[in-house]
Amino acid sequence: MIWLIAFAMRAMMPRTAQLPGIADTDLNGFLRRMRQDAEPLYWVGLVAGAVLFALTPLLTLGIPLPAFCLPKKLLEKHANKLLSHPSYMLRQSVFLVRLSAGMCWGADPAVRARFALSPYAPDPGSFRTS
Amino acid sequence: MTHIAFQPAGPSVEVEADYVVVGSGAGGATAAVTLARGGARVVIVEAGPWRDPDDYPSSVYGAMRDMLESWGSTFTRGRAFWPLVQGSLVGGSTVINSAICVRTPGDVFERWQREMGVPQSSLADAVWGAQDELERELSSEEVPPAARGRSNLLAKRGADALGFDSHFMHRYVKGCRGDGQCLQGCKADKKQSLNRNFIPEVLTRGGSVLSCAPATRIVFEGQRAVAVTGRFKHPQTRQNGATFSVRARKGVVVAASVTHSPLLLQRSGVRNPMVGKGFRAHPGAPVFGCYDEAVDMNTGATQGWASMAYRDKPGFKLETLALPLDMLSGRLSGAGDLLMERLTEFRHIAMWVQACRAESVGEVRSTATGKPAVHYTLHREDMLRFREGMYLVAKMHVAAGARAVLPSIFGMPYKLAPDEIDQLKDASLDPRAYVSILSHLFGGCMMGQDPARSVCDGNGRVHGYANLLVADASAIPSNLGVNPQHTIMGLARVWSQRMLEAA
Repeated sequence: MIWLIAFAMRAMMPRTAQLPGIADTDLNGFLRRMRQDAEPLYWVGLVAGAVLFALTPLLTLGIPLPAFCLPKKLLEKHANKLLSHPSYMLRQSVFLVRLSAGMCWGADPAVRARFALSPYAPDPGSFRTS
Repeated sequence: MTHIAFQPAGPSVEVEADYVVVGSGAGGATAAVTLARGGARVVIVEAGPWRDPDDYPSSVYGAMRDMLESWGSTFTRGRAFWPLVQGSLVGGSTVINSAICVRTPGDVFERWQREMGVPQSSLADAVWGAQDELERELSSEEVPPAARGRSNLLAKRGADALGFDSHFMHRYVKGCRGDGQCLQGCKADKKQSLNRNFIPEVLTRGGSVLSCAPATRIVFEGQRAVAVTGRFKHPQTRQNGATFSVRARKGVVVAASVTHSPLLLQRSGVRNPMVGKGFRAHPGAPVFGCYDEAVDMNTGATQGWASMAYRDKPGFKLETLALPLDMLSGRLSGAGDLLMERLTEFRHIAMWVQACRAESVGEVRSTATGKPAVHYTLHREDMLRFREGMYLVAKMHVAAGARAVLPSIFGMPYKLAPDEIDQLKDASLDPRAYVSILSHLFGGCMMGQDPARSVCDGNGRVHGYANLLVADASAIPSNLGVNPQHTIMGLARVWSQRMLEAA
C-alpha cells in the first residue's frame, strides 16, 4: 500500500527545474512513520485515496488503464482532473493524499532551504510521564 | 501535588477530591484554578497527554499527531466535509490557537437574555469583571511592532486603504518574538496557553491532574454527580490502560469541548433531549494574495491583525492567518508541474481569512464507535455572508498592492488579476466549493432558563442536577462573532465562583 500511496504523491509533486520533488525527500520513511502513527481512519482514507487515484484514469481521461501505466504528461493531466473533478466525493477522496504529500514535502530540509526557511527540529513526540 | 499520566492495565486508579473537572482547555483550566484558589481540592481529568514546550512538535505532521483530536480528522457531516480543529492535550486548544483575547460584546448577553432567558444584568458585569482579571493574570497585550510581520502589516494597509476599522490583535502573549509557530505550540514559551500557568497552579494548590485519561461517564447518586470514571489511553500506541475513578465530594465540572461534553452527558444518562443540539460555529476560509515583494507569512505573529467592522452586518470577521509550508503545499490547488510552479510563489503569498458569523445550527451526535459526529450545513443566507466575506478579503489584497488574488474556490480560476476579482461576487454558494475549517465551536449543552430548550441554566448548572456544571463553549447558545476564548474563560470563572459560593 505504501508503494501505491507514494506513487500518487510522486505524481502530484514531481521534481521540476525550480524545486525538488517529493521523490527527493524521505517519502518511504515518512509513509512508514505515518502508517504507525496515524489514526486508523486517517490511514484508511489515505489508502482509499491512493487506490482511487490509481484506478480512475477512465473517469478523468477516458483511458481504461491504471494510473501507473500512464506517461508523465497524461499522469499529470489525470491528477489535475481528479483534484478538480465535478464530483465532490471524488476530489475529496484524493485531498488527503495531497495534504499528506504536502506535509512530507514541506518539512524536508532541502525544500525549506529553497524558501529561506530554517530546517525543522525533530518532533520529539514526548510528553510528561510523571 | 500530583500528576498521574498513562497507567498501564492493572489495578484501577482511585482518587478523591472536592471537585472533578473534565477537560483542561480554556473552560476547564479556568474553572479548575478558580475552584483551587477558593480552597477546594481539584482533580482535572484530561483525555490528552501533558506536553511542555520542549515536547512541542515543529512540523505540521507532528502537530497533527501530537496535538490535534483524531489527527484533525473530525469532519462535519452535511453537504460538505469541513474539518473541526480541536486540541487534545493538557491545556486543550489554548496550546494550538493564537491566544486571541476579545472581550464579550454586549449584544451577545442581550441575545442570550432575549432568546434563552439568561438574565443579562447578573451575567454581563460578572463576566466582564472576570475578563479584567484574566487579562491581567495572562498578560494580554497588543502584538508588539517587532512581531507584526509583513502579512499583518499588509492587511492593515489594505483595510486602511478601504477605509474600515481594524487593529493589531490583543493576545495572551508575553513578549512575542514573532516566530510564527502559534499553531504548533509556542516553543519560545511566550504564549500563555493554560498548560503553562493555570494548570500548574492547580497542582501547587494541592490539586491533581490525570492526563491521557478520557472520561467515559459521570456517576450519579440520585441527582448528585459523585464521580467521574474512565480508562487511560496511551497517546502513541492508543493502547488502553488502567481504569480510573475520581470521587467528587462537592461537584463535577464538564468542560470536555463542544463535541465531547454533550456525549459525556448522554453516556452518563442525562436524559435532556436538548443535549447535542444547538451546534454553531465560525466557518472560515482563506483568500490568498500574491505580492511582488516577499511576504514570508510565517514571520511574525501567526494571527496578528483583525477587523470587526463587518461583525454585525453582513456578519463576518476578518483576520490574518499564516500556514506553514508543509500545510500550504497541500492546500494550493493543482498537481504535478502546475502545482510545483505555483509553489515557487510561496514566499510572496499572504493568507487572510474571513470567519463567518453563521446562524446555521447543527447537532452533535455519537457514532457507533462513541466518537462525536457533527451534523452541520450552512444555509443559503450564511453562504451569501460567507461569499461576501471572501470578496472583501480579495478587495483588501488588491488595496494592499497584491498583483493577483488566489480565491481557492472550486469552479473559479486559480488566480485572478486585480481587475478580475468581481468574479467572486458570482462564486458558487455551494459549501462544497470551499475548503473551509470550523475553528470556533459553540453549543451542544446550551444554557437557558427553560429546561425544555436548554441543558444548563444561566449559571452553567445542568438542569435537574444540583452539583453538575458545564463550563466550556458547549454552554454558549449563540454565535459570538468574536474569538471565543476570552468569553469561555470569563464564563468558566464566574460560574465556578458561583458554584463555590453555593457549596
